[in-house]
Amino acid sequence: MQTRSATDAAAAGHAPAPRKPLIGRLFDADNPWSVNAGRLGAVLLLFAVWELGAGRLFDIFYFSKPSLIVAHFAKEMVDPGFYNDLWVTGLELVLGYTSGGAAGIALGILLARWRYVARICDPFLLAVNSVPRIAVAPMLIVWFGIGIASKVFLAATLVFFITFFNTLSGIRGVDKALCDVARVQGASEWQIFTKVMLPHASAWILTGLKMSLPFGLVGVILGEFLVSSEGLGFRLNGYATGYNTTGAIAMILIMMFLMMALTAVADRIDARVMRWRPSDREAGGVALKA
Amino acid sequence: MTAERRAERASLTLEGVAKRFDGRDRVVSALEATSLTIAAGEFVTLVGPSGCGKSTILNIISGLTAASGGSVLLDGHAITGVNRRVGYITQQDNLFPWRTLRDNVALPLEIAGVDPKERHEKADRWLERVGLGGFGDAYPHELSGGMRQRGSIVRTLIYEPPVILMDEPFGPLDAQTRIVLQDMLLSIWEGARSTIVFVTHDLTEAIALADRVLLMSARPGRIVRSDRVNIPRPRDIFQIHENPEFRRLYNEIWNELRLQVRDANALSH
Repeated sequence: MQTRSATDAAAAGHAPAPRKPLIGRLFDADNPWSVNAGRLGAVLLLFAVWELGAGRLFDIFYFSKPSLIVAHFAKEMVDPGFYNDLWVTGLELVLGYTSGGAAGIALGILLARWRYVARICDPFLLAVNSVPRIAVAPMLIVWFGIGIASKVFLAATLVFFITFFNTLSGIRGVDKALCDVARVQGASEWQIFTKVMLPHASAWILTGLKMSLPFGLVGVILGEFLVSSEGLGFRLNGYATGYNTTGAIAMILIMMFLMMALTAVADRIDARVMRWRPSDREAGGVALKA
Repeated sequence: MTAERRAERASLTLEGVAKRFDGRDRVVSALEATSLTIAAGEFVTLVGPSGCGKSTILNIISGLTAASGGSVLLDGHAITGVNRRVGYITQQDNLFPWRTLRDNVALPLEIAGVDPKERHEKADRWLERVGLGGFGDAYPHELSGGMRQRGSIVRTLIYEPPVILMDEPFGPLDAQTRIVLQDMLLSIWEGARSTIVFVTHDLTEAIALADRVLLMSARPGRIVRSDRVNIPRPRDIFQIHENPEFRRLYNEIWNELRLQVRDANALSH
């Protein structure tokens, strides 16, 4: 990393000198220590202004403050009701995400393989995709009741379209020359599909699955907002309608951490499965990973 | 050659093979009716100006493109569609980016249902032969153009098709890598003696490799000249330009090719 930073800087042409001045080393975009220190500083600054400004610059009633939120976290951690809500939301998310993702991949594969049906379905898919998914949420409650099924279904519809379109593009976008390589070697249509098209589409499918993860949570929380008796969305809604801003903000932060953790897992899986892809370094997008 | 068994041999015959493309207002003839016989184990090169239908001939023989007329015979039997007995090495290496080099090279064996252990061992042996031993676990993006093209060639050699088509396989490579790979190809072929149809626009390469050089005319493509190369094998590809027979042939064919190249350029302007 260190040597690479040095060569990068040299290549960029602004570091012919063997040693940067102190200021330059402190605020070095290529030095992970410096960058992380900056991030920590930004968070601390935000929390300090929030904590000290509460009651002076703005009203605690509306904006709460970090110490109250931390205290609230502690309270939630020992509340069995919280764990039940976390469990319910997690279950809805897992069920909705996996079913929506699986259906999206399956239908994407089917339509990519079966051009006639795909041609028939094209305008309908466009139409269905043009419906704001949120707008059908009340109908889902009518159809599937106020239990977890309606939330699972809402999450699934949001996840479905993203994975579906990605799978379709991934399979349709396969290089014909690669298919010909297998064909000349005597591959059957099925082998061409399993050995060329699917692996080619896997990058697209994984991207679709990664992109749709936050949408799955959106679907679940939204469903819980509408009608429910448990779940993190229900809990958040309860705090918010009771003007408990501390509790509401704590819930939002918990959802944020939940999503960050899931995204991190998805990134790890992606990096693992997609070992064959040229790395970010070669692709030139190293900044975000530093 | 691979010691397990003797490679199968096959002759290749084209009978009046033609290719037309139906344009919107006219029919374009890419390849005039062409007849030609290539003996089993013969190394034939096809040279000609760009766009003369050299690649079209290979695409038709491979079965990837249907001819507008005529037939292709393998050992006297007409073939239709793709045929596993005809291998095809293209200018682009077309290695699968998601497979390691070893798994890329083993692909034809995998398609044929050879078990993993056996196909990996065989792939490793072939990689070793072309100087890629130790790169089996690398992914294509980690390899140089020359290494990838070697992988692409070995991927076809590994299943020993009796006929191998090569479409400017060394085209994208630098001059030094080219000559090293030409030498490698010849030494492998001299053991295996598959029938090879090799397309190139480089006359030096065409003569250096071939038993017979076929010259094609500008579009519509047709074979205008056929020269046997009487340079004994094994050939020293690095010194072949000093060979008097090579120079005589080169000058003769070049005089003709020059005219075709001029015609081809006149056509496209």
